Amino acid sequence: MSKISAPKDNREFIEACVKSGDAVRIKQEVDWENEAGAIVRRACELGAAAPFMEKIKDYPGFSYFGAPLSTYRRMAISMGMDPASSLPDIGKEYLKRTNSEPIAPVVIDRKDAPCKENILKGKDVDLCKLPVPLVHDGDGGRYVGTWHAVITKHPERGDVNWGMYRQMMWDGRTMSGAVFPFSDLGKQLSEYYLPRGLSCPFATAIGLSPLAGMAACAPSPIPEPELIGMLSGEPVRLVKCETNDLEVPADAEIIIEGEICPDYKVEEGPFGEYTGYRTSPRDFRVTFRVNCITYRNNATMTISNMGVPQDEGQLLRSFSLGLELEKLLKSQGIPITGVYMHPRSTHHMMIVGVKPTYSGIAQQIGQLAFGSKLGPWFHMVMVVDDQTDIFNWDEVYHAFCTRMHPVNGIHVYKNSTGTPLYPFTTPHDRKYSIGSKVVFDCLWPVDWDKINDVPTLVSFKNVYPKDVQDKVTSNWTAYGYPEVK
Amino acid sequence: MKNMWEVFVMDMAELAEGKDLELTIRTLNPGVQKYTYKRVKCQVSARLDKLPDSLQVRMGRGQLSANKFSIKVLEEVQRMPEKYL
Repeated sequence: MSKISAPKDNREFIEACVKSGDAVRIKQEVDWENEAGAIVRRACELGAAAPFMEKIKDYPGFSYFGAPLSTYRRMAISMGMDPASSLPDIGKEYLKRTNSEPIAPVVIDRKDAPCKENILKGKDVDLCKLPVPLVHDGDGGRYVGTWHAVITKHPERGDVNWGMYRQMMWDGRTMSGAVFPFSDLGKQLSEYYLPRGLSCPFATAIGLSPLAGMAACAPSPIPEPELIGMLSGEPVRLVKCETNDLEVPADAEIIIEGEICPDYKVEEGPFGEYTGYRTSPRDFRVTFRVNCITYRNNATMTISNMGVPQDEGQLLRSFSLGLELEKLLKSQGIPITGVYMHPRSTHHMMIVGVKPTYSGIAQQIGQLAFGSKLGPWFHMVMVVDDQTDIFNWDEVYHAFCTRMHPVNGIHVYKNSTGTPLYPFTTPHDRKYSIGSKVVFDCLWPVDWDKINDVPTLVSFKNVYPKDVQDKVTSNWTAYGYPEVK
Repeated sequence: MKNMWEVFVMDMAELAEGKDLELTIRTLNPGVQKYTYKRVKCQVSARLDKLPDSLQVRMGRGQLSANKFSIKVLEEVQRMPEKYL
């Protein structure tokens, strides 16, 4: 593998983004109450540069970095690639790196860890000392964790989990968070800690390197510390926590240590979500009790502002979810050409290209995808043939509207697992994570005669001889048309 | 200065007048504590001058209600089990 030169921490990433014009330094004071969130939201909706807000009201010395990975350009920068790289190229690079040998993390001494430059323990612990933003007006609270990793470890199996579970500041020592029962942490709490009445140690890392954020967001079976190493081409630096045995990224901006109280819940939400709505009800959710806070000098808090497309919630999640599903289908020998989730679908629709070599292949794809641990996060699978460009919505939409039989091509699966964040489900179904799924089979049936039954696609590429296509293409400007890029 | 509080409800009937209620409220007082929560025993009134503090109401998805109340906080309620304190 060629040497990867990806930003090692959040600070290197900000510098790289400023240099390429993909981040802007905001010098004037910004209010943590709504203003910072509104700047991030507008930047997301305009596809603008990421805001690096250097001066925050009430919090001298702290800064914000918003919308870290809400464009493919910044995603390419995070991977050490040319910002102009295409999405398929970024995807290929992601697959290449994540199919390589795992790279184990290294644990460094506390004195060498930037995240230990300031340590608050005992009576000094107070989340109000951090510039926790009110991201959207009307949110249930100020959200500590919007672009972060909640780190836990299974006490028997030793599995390390870094997940992006949103966390709301309830009071100076308490956070509440949305941890769904089908998530890795949700299973860990219900299987191990709750029956034993034990609290679960956790650490929240904020201001991660962008690839650590990508790993925390990715539904990959590879443990996140190894996955970060694979993505960045070198070991991630970890350091022991102050108050528990967990290991956290040493170069993170802020670390919050504590324990999850599995038998005690407090109110959480509502919150603007990746679907573009406030959907999940305010409810009693998982409680995080804080025992220690450590942070770097001049720490930068990262903010993801979820709402209508596009922000990290859609763009990054669509990217990694789609690619992990591609790995899954390829591991089962399905002759797919690729998987794509358009960010504007808020990763609810999985588009799959496949060579239709046998009957029922679309349903097989849907059943594999929905049956996997990734299944609760999306509810539509659209299967098109290998001649359709899955990244070209015009082609996909045309296939959907012309090849899918309205009776035979739609396969519905009721009462499966969904998320409380699905805007279209009933309040009851949201509360109990009940979902329904659908497969849109946009393939010509394999038992149709390919000469007499399958319609011929009438397109420039499909109906003209190659020499005519070449002649027309090469003469295009001579005909008087502008050059086609 | 009177304190400013906010509460989230699913139904305005949760804010019954003339009896002691137990509510989760958050402070709207300016400063770094703003939006932190307390669980309290309290009384509320639709008459804004009846009780010492003000109470703003939001519905379940964050919509600000036009209804305003006054509130008297009687005492703080500690729900968290002793083992976590």
